[in-house]
Amino acid sequence: MASHSESIIREPLITGNDITYGQITDDILRPVENMPSKAWWIGFTVASLGALLWVFSISYTFWYGIGSWGLNKTVGWAWDITGFVWWVGIGHAGTLISAVLLLFRQNWRNSINRSAEAMTIFAVICAATYIGAHMGRPWMAVYSLPLPNQYGSLWVNFNSPLIWDVFAISTYFSVSLVFWYTGLLPDMASIRDRATGIRRRIYSVASFGWTGSVKTWQRFETVSLILAGLSTPLVLSVHTIVSMDFATSLEPGWHTTIFPPYFVAGAIFSGFAMVQTLLLVTRKVLGLENYITMFHIESMNKIILVTGSVVGVAYITEFFIAYYSGGEYEQYTFLNRFIGPYWWAACMMYGCNVLMTQMMWSKKVRTNIPISWVLSIIVNIGMWFERFVIIVVSLHRDYIPSSWAMFYPTWVDVGVFVGSIGIFFTMFLLFIRVMPSVAIAEVKLLLKSASEQAKKKQIAEGHLDPAHVEFYKENLIKFDSIDHSEYEKA
Amino acid sequence: MDSNKKYWKGLEELNRTPEFVEKNKNEFAEPIPIEEILSGDGLSAKTPRRDFLKALGFGVGAVTLAACQRVPVHKSIPYLIKPEEVTPGVANYYSSSYEGQAILVKTREGRPIKVEGNPNDIFSKGGLSAQAQASVLDLYDVNRLKDPKLNGGEAGWSEIDAFVIKELAAIKAAGKNIRLVTSSINSPSTLAVIAEFIKQYPTAKHVTYDAVSYTGIIQANQNSFGKAVIPHYNFDKADVIVSFGADFLGTWISGEEFTRQYVSNRNNKSLESKKMSRHIQFESGMSLTGTNADNRLAIKPSEEGIAIINLYNAISGTTLPGSKKLSSKAAENAITIAAKELVAAKGKALVVAGSNDVATQVLVNAINSLLGSYGTTIDLDNPSKQYAGNDAEFVEFVNELGRGEVAGVLFLNVNPAYDYFKAKEFKDALAKARLRVSFADHDDETALVSNVIAPNHHYLESWGDANAVEGYYTVIQPTINPVYNTRQAEHSLLVWAQNPVKDYYTFVRNNWNDNLLAKGGLSGQKGWETLLQTGMIKTTPNTAGTYTFNRDLNAVAQTILTHSASIAAGDGKFELQVYQSPAIGDGKRANNPWLQELPDPVSKVTWDNFVAVSVADIKKLKLSEGDVIKITANGYTVELPVLAQPGQAQGTVSIAVGYGRTNAGPVGDNVGKNAFPFYSFRNGTFQTTAVVTEFNPTGIKSPLAQTQTHHSYEGRSVIREAKFAEYKKNPAVHSGNEKGHKNYDEESLWDVPSHDRPVYDWVMAIDLNACTGCGACVVACNAENNIPVVGKDEVRRRREMHWIRIDRYYSYEEKGENITEEYEIDKLKDDAFDNVTVVHQPMLCQHCDHAPCETVCPVLATVHSSEGLNQMAYNRCVGTRYCANNCPYKVRRFNWFNYWNDSRFDNYLNNEHTQLVLNPDVVTRFRGVMEKCSMCVQRIQAGKLKAKIEKRPLKDGEIKMACQQTCSANAIVFGNRNDPNSEVSKALKSERTYYVLEELNVQPGIGYQVKVRNAVELEA
Repeated sequence: MASHSESIIREPLITGNDITYGQITDDILRPVENMPSKAWWIGFTVASLGALLWVFSISYTFWYGIGSWGLNKTVGWAWDITGFVWWVGIGHAGTLISAVLLLFRQNWRNSINRSAEAMTIFAVICAATYIGAHMGRPWMAVYSLPLPNQYGSLWVNFNSPLIWDVFAISTYFSVSLVFWYTGLLPDMASIRDRATGIRRRIYSVASFGWTGSVKTWQRFETVSLILAGLSTPLVLSVHTIVSMDFATSLEPGWHTTIFPPYFVAGAIFSGFAMVQTLLLVTRKVLGLENYITMFHIESMNKIILVTGSVVGVAYITEFFIAYYSGGEYEQYTFLNRFIGPYWWAACMMYGCNVLMTQMMWSKKVRTNIPISWVLSIIVNIGMWFERFVIIVVSLHRDYIPSSWAMFYPTWVDVGVFVGSIGIFFTMFLLFIRVMPSVAIAEVKLLLKSASEQAKKKQIAEGHLDPAHVEFYKENLIKFDSIDHSEYEKA
Repeated sequence: MDSNKKYWKGLEELNRTPEFVEKNKNEFAEPIPIEEILSGDGLSAKTPRRDFLKALGFGVGAVTLAACQRVPVHKSIPYLIKPEEVTPGVANYYSSSYEGQAILVKTREGRPIKVEGNPNDIFSKGGLSAQAQASVLDLYDVNRLKDPKLNGGEAGWSEIDAFVIKELAAIKAAGKNIRLVTSSINSPSTLAVIAEFIKQYPTAKHVTYDAVSYTGIIQANQNSFGKAVIPHYNFDKADVIVSFGADFLGTWISGEEFTRQYVSNRNNKSLESKKMSRHIQFESGMSLTGTNADNRLAIKPSEEGIAIINLYNAISGTTLPGSKKLSSKAAENAITIAAKELVAAKGKALVVAGSNDVATQVLVNAINSLLGSYGTTIDLDNPSKQYAGNDAEFVEFVNELGRGEVAGVLFLNVNPAYDYFKAKEFKDALAKARLRVSFADHDDETALVSNVIAPNHHYLESWGDANAVEGYYTVIQPTINPVYNTRQAEHSLLVWAQNPVKDYYTFVRNNWNDNLLAKGGLSGQKGWETLLQTGMIKTTPNTAGTYTFNRDLNAVAQTILTHSASIAAGDGKFELQVYQSPAIGDGKRANNPWLQELPDPVSKVTWDNFVAVSVADIKKLKLSEGDVIKITANGYTVELPVLAQPGQAQGTVSIAVGYGRTNAGPVGDNVGKNAFPFYSFRNGTFQTTAVVTEFNPTGIKSPLAQTQTHHSYEGRSVIREAKFAEYKKNPAVHSGNEKGHKNYDEESLWDVPSHDRPVYDWVMAIDLNACTGCGACVVACNAENNIPVVGKDEVRRRREMHWIRIDRYYSYEEKGENITEEYEIDKLKDDAFDNVTVVHQPMLCQHCDHAPCETVCPVLATVHSSEGLNQMAYNRCVGTRYCANNCPYKVRRFNWFNYWNDSRFDNYLNNEHTQLVLNPDVVTRFRGVMEKCSMCVQRIQAGKLKAKIEKRPLKDGEIKMACQQTCSANAIVFGNRNDPNSEVSKALKSERTYYVLEELNVQPGIGYQVKVRNAVELEA
């Protein structure tokens, strides 16, 4: 039988009946070309209120000074840098999905890369706001750029990891932005072609005069690959450098060589969790179930499981090294995570990131949408606490016991953080209104409708061996949204 | 030929119609509706289109005219004719005196900005207390009275003088009494003025009243030896010191002097000659002195007398009637051992007691007499004149007032309406006097109930003198013109006494010419000028005689026992002891923000007083720190937060006086609660102990603003201590240098480029055995470096800005082990919290040679100098705070707010006048930048510059840090490490020297010297 069997081990990445190219365009552009739904309005209102809270809290901080936060002489960073690292981490999935998976020819990424990249850009914007906001004198932020000046040879301090950060984040942001927008070009052109009036003119400009010629497509593919090649090292570098903000310091709990891989794994972990959080809602609200399928959900859950476990190993390694190094201060720092006054924060961190994600070994959990969604939120909470534990819980009790202190956030701390989530969702919701949230052109590459329809026709006309059909059917059973009735006819 | 031609503009003119003639009479043919426009209607009407240009023109014109108003001109007066002695940018120093202690006042461009000790001063030889350091800020207090007041309204001096002279004359005529109530005065000239005043008004009497009084000692000496004086104690001559509740390193009589003396037997120099005194302290609350003791025993106030009796018994070998054992075995044991130690050190022993009870002090005199202390450690022939208050006299004065016998009262430097324990009774009685004059420079509690306020000068505006110890005369000279319309109290008294000499300066001059200059071998104008330069004269001291106590002690012992029984609380009740905190003292300086923000040396609490309760009692009562307690004693109730104080005797509570002022000024008002009403008057003196009759939690929480909230050093090598016995065998013991000073650079992973320090390498050495933890350095640093005050709320948020702090760690002895780790401490038994030992560690920027802060600053705002200093470029700082996070010593301070200009946030230095106290050599820092100890870089620069101008090399010791300069204990040595002969190089070579966190190889520039304890083994 195997001799005449055709290979169907590749699962179809797009589900649903009789999907045509036209229908894909219609489905994906529905939110862009129609008035927003009630759900969108509700979401947008809430998100904008959050954004307003951010504007207010940040203005308050700028007006009165960083003292409006809960920081003190011992804990010099808290919710600010926690939020910064959290957002940068979330911003990791985008590049990973778009660049690394592209290079590895993981075509399933085509359905989710657009949203993931958009999410990356918005998350990096949120992170960048913290870089400015946490400075005592943000109006002097220009000092952190190596600009020529009249002060003689006064440069920035190239030894400082914060300077590496400036470069890392700005490079990452610009490459991500270019990559994202390059991918958008053919889709913008699709909107342009279907639009009229002023919309047509706007999208015409936005699509940079895309013609759809073979040459254009060829260049498009080439640029995408080059950008993918350029971005791949960034996936590793950005969070490596963010981790060096801590790893190159002297602070027990920060001064750890495991930080770069540990942070990168953590970033991918949290990034995928955030993609999961967003897409599970988006696919439902925008009716994109055929494009973002259970296969995607499960794949992402698997990545979350793997990276979560990597993070778990890193946690264990940290503890082992603290014990094994014999470093008195480091030992205390790690012990303090459990027996100190912030034990609950450590419990949130280890519980959410390691224990909860282990549930994903079960396929039932991985393929259950509500549980997946809740878990993705839990991971996001856990990763926030991870950064909080690393930053605040290490700082609050370091070398000199006389300076040990507690950190209590103020409403401004909370406002800036909650507000940054508002900013993020405001941008994301605007994005799905004006740009296709799934890469139309790339998804079309995945469609095998012509062969599928031919197959059905053959079955219907009885040209195929029933055993062959049965084998084909069995292999399809496992996919959720496939209507098997057509095959039953055979 | 005239032309007859006529030109006309129109037919109307040619025909000269009546209408035309009528119209042509006016300048404008058409009437301009000026009236209409100017009357309300025209102006309020909408500007019509045609009027637009008019409105515009008028508007522009009006605005231009308005703008021509001159901008206010701020006049700064240039030195058109430069005073000879003032060079802008160069400080002038004037000798003066603060509370009898010789000082140097640093002035810049005519304003005093800092007070420094005079190195020739006999008390602390250049050291100065926190209060003295802070006193300069009082000069710039905007809440000082700006004018004299008569019956609550402002008045001129002539009105005041007329009124007071009239009243005094009337009182004199009526034969009614006048009382001049002052704090202790030792100034010969002031005393002469008072004598003149009394000569004029014979019904006047001088009553000396000290809120914190030493009447007990004075009367005991009168009683024992016929000399009503406070003796001059010589702690430097004592090898064994036993103190019963006397906080002699802090608030007792002459703390700065005793600190210098005490430390001279315990510092590095003494240790190197294998000598160290032994100090045993018996006390209830943990005092600054108690924290420094080698052995400290917690006893209840009611057992203090019994303990002294037992010590007497043990030393004399007799048994006084009524003697009984102490409730604590350890204390009883300690008494026996202390007696043995004292007897062994006969002639070099000293016993002191803080009690103000005459009988107790008589017994102490008896003990000292047995120990041969008179003539050696106690000098009765060159007595201290710092305190002369007579409690009974004051109580009698209040009674006189109540009986209406006193018609005129003058208050000089006293505030009984606040600090007399029956303030209400006093105020009611005072109302019966027709003339009530206060010389207060603030509207204080007593000024409020006076009808004349004749505000006195600040001492930096005054002339005067002092004689704080027999044979030591210091002069006070003004360093600034009076800022407000104030007048020196002595001047007022001279005017009111209608003395021929009304000017106090002339009076002082005459007094010195006639009586005092000769004592110093000086005379005439030249002698006076010499005096103003040196600031003091010292006469040859009298020979200290030996005195033998030979009075009957049975009655004394009986009095002590009765007294003890009266203050003993029953089981489950508390005995209350009130004390002074070294920062606030008796509360006269409560309006000084530097002092309010100076952490209490023991509790590290700022901006508040509190009920100190032993840890065991806190646990028993299930209280937690900051719980507000309602506490009643002597019929007086206050609500104050509790503090768990290790070392506090179980069953006792302590509360500091000096707080709870209601009319001190915006800084000091309502900070804490007044504890003076807990005083009582027994056996002729004020007593500071009472039985607590009510002690109930209120359920309210008021977190204390502490600068340190973790109190143990967790067994970390940050603190290194040794026993004296071990030290004698091996001076390097426990210092980490048992095998010589270790060079961590050899273990470094990298080739570290050596920093080139061609000439200077500024470093510091701090002797933990010399530092008593008093905190004077903190205030000196505040004054020198313009450090902002942040207030109680910000201290609670752990944001105080002090560049130098004193870390205070408790550790506990259990079975010979030193327990320092939190989780072990949690397991300790309640009684173990009594066996607490304390170490103080001044902590400031260590100026690391491999500074972790420098590598992480993104903008190079903190960099290393070629002289080994870690420097801050404030203008470059963007405020990422990474440097502070990466500082292992946590000494960097961030400007969370714009402390100098934030109306929402008053730090009490937020006004132009108070800002005159700022040191112009140090910039104030804007919000958002980091700051920290600069190693007084402005002083280093000034010193180098001076040497350069004088074309000579810089001398060791020429540059002194502000903290070092004010330290009476000389615990801090600063200097150049490149010079092998410098004091600091020698100190750093000591075997005791270690560097905090040296294992990180940050190469700190401050070496600490191991704390050595000379404790006696109490377990018998």
